[in-house]
Order: sequence, then C-alpha cells, then structure tokens
Amino acid sequence: MDKMDRKLPILEKLHDVEAYMKKRIGLGDSFDLGVRKLTILKKNVHFYYVNGLCDTSFIVQIVKELVEINDNEKMSSKLQDIVENRITHQSVSPVKTMDEMVDQVLSGLIAILVEGEGIALIVDVRSYPGRQPMEPDTEKVVRGSRDGFVENIIVNTALTRRRIRDERLRFEMMKVGERSKTDVAIAYIKDIASPNLVDVVKQEVKSIEIDGIAMGDKTIEEFIVKQGYNPYPLVRYTERADVAASHLLEGHVLLYVDTSPSVIITPTTYFHHLQHAEEYRQSAGVGTMVKWVRFLGVLASLILLPLWFLLLSNPDLLPDNLSFIGPNKHSNIPVLLQIFFADIGIEFLRMAAIHTPTPLSTAMGLIAAVLIGQIAIDVGLFVPEVILYVSVSAIGTYATPSYELSIANKIGRLFLLVVTAIFDVPGFVIGLTVWLLLLARIKSLNTPYLWPFLPFVPKAFKEILIRTSVPGSSIRPSILHSRNRQRQPSKS
Amino acid sequence: MDQEKRKLEQEQHEKPMSMVAMVAVTGLFGGLLWSSLAQFAHYLNFTDVRVNVLLEPWAFGAWKKGWIGTVFSIIALGIISIGVAFVYYWTMRKVKSMWGGAIFGLLLFLLVFYVLNPVFPGIKPISDLSRNTLVTSVCFYLLYGVFVGYSISFEENELQYREKNNTAAAPQETE
Repeated sequence: MDKMDRKLPILEKLHDVEAYMKKRIGLGDSFDLGVRKLTILKKNVHFYYVNGLCDTSFIVQIVKELVEINDNEKMSSKLQDIVENRITHQSVSPVKTMDEMVDQVLSGLIAILVEGEGIALIVDVRSYPGRQPMEPDTEKVVRGSRDGFVENIIVNTALTRRRIRDERLRFEMMKVGERSKTDVAIAYIKDIASPNLVDVVKQEVKSIEIDGIAMGDKTIEEFIVKQGYNPYPLVRYTERADVAASHLLEGHVLLYVDTSPSVIITPTTYFHHLQHAEEYRQSAGVGTMVKWVRFLGVLASLILLPLWFLLLSNPDLLPDNLSFIGPNKHSNIPVLLQIFFADIGIEFLRMAAIHTPTPLSTAMGLIAAVLIGQIAIDVGLFVPEVILYVSVSAIGTYATPSYELSIANKIGRLFLLVVTAIFDVPGFVIGLTVWLLLLARIKSLNTPYLWPFLPFVPKAFKEILIRTSVPGSSIRPSILHSRNRQRQPSKS
Repeated sequence: MDQEKRKLEQEQHEKPMSMVAMVAVTGLFGGLLWSSLAQFAHYLNFTDVRVNVLLEPWAFGAWKKGWIGTVFSIIALGIISIGVAFVYYWTMRKVKSMWGGAIFGLLLFLLVFYVLNPVFPGIKPISDLSRNTLVTSVCFYLLYGVFVGYSISFEENELQYREKNNTAAAPQETE
C-alpha cells in the first residue's frame, strides 16, 4: 500500500465508503465483516463491524438509541452532533482517515458513519473471545493469588494495575507486525526503571519488521535479545500477575504481548530463572530452605550424570568410602549408550506428555513406569544404577522453576556427558570451566548472565542465597540501575 | 515541607558497599569458594594437590595433615586471597574484559606452580604432575582469576557508570 492510500480521508458519500470497504477488506467476501444501514432523519447512517469481536448487546443498545432520534429530533442538519451525543457508550472517538477506520474495525470496534460528513465515530464495543483469569499451570503455588494472565492484553494490564495503583506506572502501547498489527505494551514504573533500559527496549520493539507475530511473545523475544543457537533463556516469562508486579517494583521493564498469556521480564539473569513465587509465600526461613533444595536439584540435573559416569569409567578416582558406586552387574551395552537411551526415553515421555490427552496419559505413565523401567532391567538392557541416576537428574530438571532453563540445562548435561566420555577427567573439568565461562560471557540487554555470582556482587548474592524477609530488604537490585534504589520510603 | 524532606530522603541513594570493602569481600569469598571446590576435586582424586600443602612449610603439629588442617588451610587461602584481590585491583581493574581475569588467573597459576614450587614440597615439580592434576589446577586458577578479576573490573565499571549518571540525571530528577 502506498503512502497516498494511508492518508486517504473518510469519503463523504457512504456508497463510496462501502465500495472502498468491498475492495479493501473484502466486505461481502468475508462472512465476518458486516455493515448495518439505517436511515435517520432521512440521512443514511452506516455501521461497520466484525462479528465475533464485538458485544452485540452494546450495539443493540446504541442502534436503539439512534433509531429513536427519528421520534425525538428534527434538526437533520446537525445529525452528526446528535448522533455523537446519543451514543450511549463512554469510549467514542472520531477518526478522519480510512486507514485508521479499517484498523479499528478489524480490531473489533464499530465505526458509525453519517452521510456527507467525512468522519467516522469509533465506538469501543470490543468483546474478545477468551478465557477468564485462572491459575497458570506452569507456576502453581500453595498459597497466593490464582489469577494468571490470559490471552487478552487489556485484561493483563488490568490485572497489573490492580496490584500497582501508582500514578507512575506506564503501559506504552505499540503495534507490531505489518499484517497482524498485534498490540505490544511496554510496562515500567517511571521513576524506578532506568530510562536507558526503557529506551533500549522501546527501540528494539519499534525496529521489529515482520508480517505477523502469531507465536506472540516468543517472536518478540527473539527480536529483542537475539539469542541465536544459545539454548539458555535470556528473558523470563511469567504467567503470574503478582510476579509481574513485583518485578515492576524492582525496576524491570516488562513486555505485554496481546494473544500471549505470559509477559516478558527484562533484563534477566540465570538466577532469575531459579526463583519461584512459592518461596515468597512462605516464611523467610522456609523460603531459604526451598531455595537451597532447588539449587541442589538444578545442580544435580546438570552435573550428577556426567560426574557419575566419570567415576564409573575411572573407578580408581573413587575415595574408599564411596567405592560402592558403579554397577555390580555385568552390563551388555556400554553405559554411555544406556544413559543416552534412558535420557532420550525420558525426553520422549516429556514430549509425549505435552500433547497426550489426559485419559491416555494415565496409560502412558503406566507403560513408562512398568515397561521402560523394570523390564528394561530384567532383559539386561539397562543396569539399575543408570535408571537411578537418570531419574534423579530428570527430577532435578523438573524441579527447575523455569521450563526454558530446564531444557537448556539438559543440553548442558548432554554436552558434559559427551566431553566426559571422550576426554575423561580433563574433559569433565574443562567442560565445566568452558560451560561456566560461556554463561558468564552472555549478556542480556547489557546485564551479565551470571550476575551476581560472576561478576560477584556480595549484597545481591546474599539475596540469591538467602530469601530475606521483606521488611529487611529495602534496596532494589543494583544491576537494574534503577533511578530510585530504596524500595520503601524512609520514615520521617 | 515535611513531604519535601521525605522525598529527598527517599532519593538519597544508600551508599553501595565501598570499593575497598567490595574487593576484600570478593577476595575472601572467592578464596573460600574455589579452595573448597578444589579440595572437593582432590577428594575425588582429580588432582593430587590438596589445600593442606599450604601448611607444609610451617612446623605445625600433626593436625596440619588432618581435617583441621584442611579447614585451616581453606580459611588461610581465603585471607591470602584478599591480598590477591587487591593486587588485581591495583594493577588491572581498568581491564573491562572477562579475559583479563582469566589471564590474571593463569599468571597466578604460573607463580604458584613455577616460582613458589620449591616452597611447597607437597606440589611435585610441574614436569612430574599428572595430566589430570595439571588440567584441574589450571581450570581452578582460571576460574578463580575470572571470579576475582571480572568482579572487580565490573564493579569499577559500575561505579563509573553510576557517577556519570548521577551527575547527568540530576536535572531530570525534578520533573
């Protein structure tokens, strides 16, 4: 479409408008577009709408009110003003170009045009199909709010606004996608978030050029952080409104993408992916224990398997009191292959479980537990220890709160396993070193990925290890360069 | 009036940890962490060098070979590491890259295993070390160097960023 067309003003003759709509958006071809024609005070008044995206009961009310103009008013020369005045809805805005009108109609608003006026009144009667806020499956808590984000950006921003009534909370709306015109909102608190960070995120979103973002926030993420084939997640997703609100208060910048039930938290580090709302719903002591156990789980998911394999292939490394480690039985297949088979088997299960309907997944669980576990040992395919260690590291994977991180760690584990198998002790040690250095090199929006461990920042690292009680933690994380480092106003 | 005062107090940035304290804490923690991990690596026989070699030149009792010696050595390494961190701070803090820390770590390795080697009878001459010991030690010194070096350089960088931004952002604050 050329520039001229974009600026085309609303046509004055309504049958011209209709012809334009037929040509441009396929009125009459597409069944979900409609036009309702009324005659009010002997003038034509047309309504354009997309059925399914607007609430019929509002439109009925508005049409009723407009038709009654015929009985109550006589001044047909002022019809435009009368119509505007009579629309029983709070959100009415006039637009002057065809392009704008088409955008709004396709978003589910209705356009009301009066013959000979060259103006379209846009009324927000949107009612999108969607579900009610409910607890997200991926971030459950025992206690705490259960209203998770949904696919509707308006509901999502409202859920956040309910938690932060601050006048400085900003939701800056942008449209992304030449064809999809998806709404993307950048959320931050004005006097907390670093202006540089807000600018960077805004620029990145603005510079996205794409047809449509049907995959929602994931596509936006790929444009913003440019992660390539690095498997480690560079932004954090959350479906919980309370998690989103607490990150806003820390000074993060959040991205809300319409049609996605999760919001993007930027910038994030490795340790952000190890947090979970649960530990902030328990007392500080319990929260700390939960954290430590989780760290152990994540560590196990990463190095337990390679370490065990290393000790098993070099039994002379074992200290005397650990000498029971290693298979007692003779195995028919090299242990490395067994580990890979078992690990890939678990991956089969995980992938199958995602898209298996619930009634079938019970049967699947049974097959997995009985057949793959016990019988594989009985027929001599696996040694029991392989099942044990693969299972422990799989459980460690599931104990990782971030789904993205758990899969990335899985790749890290397989990498370590392979280099350990090839190069023994040097492979394991160098592999771990390289893994650590590569992670430390990653930067997500100018934030070192392993902050605050590497580079080490004592105070922030304490917050990672110990879940401090809220009244004690009055400083915002320094990495965000927030404008206002105190969380709580000091007492005066 | 009252509100104004409160606002000002809110805007006062609490002084982040002073640079000297930060260097000291980083050195201490880095020393404790990496020497503990090195001791664990020794437990799994990745390396022949145990932290207790630190105590060998001194005539302590028999305990220096036991677990008390190990704990004592780890603490001593932590304290020595504070000095090492300051050496980095005085010489290399302007190096922005992480690899500066890595080189610092390698230099430390060379210092301990070549120059100071005769002081510690527990460490064999470098040509006699097994491949595992050598690789493990190099990796530990490398990671230790990156830990101390990168942390200090990063903090130095942050400090400058904060100073620059505080003066630049001051007029905006009143909006």
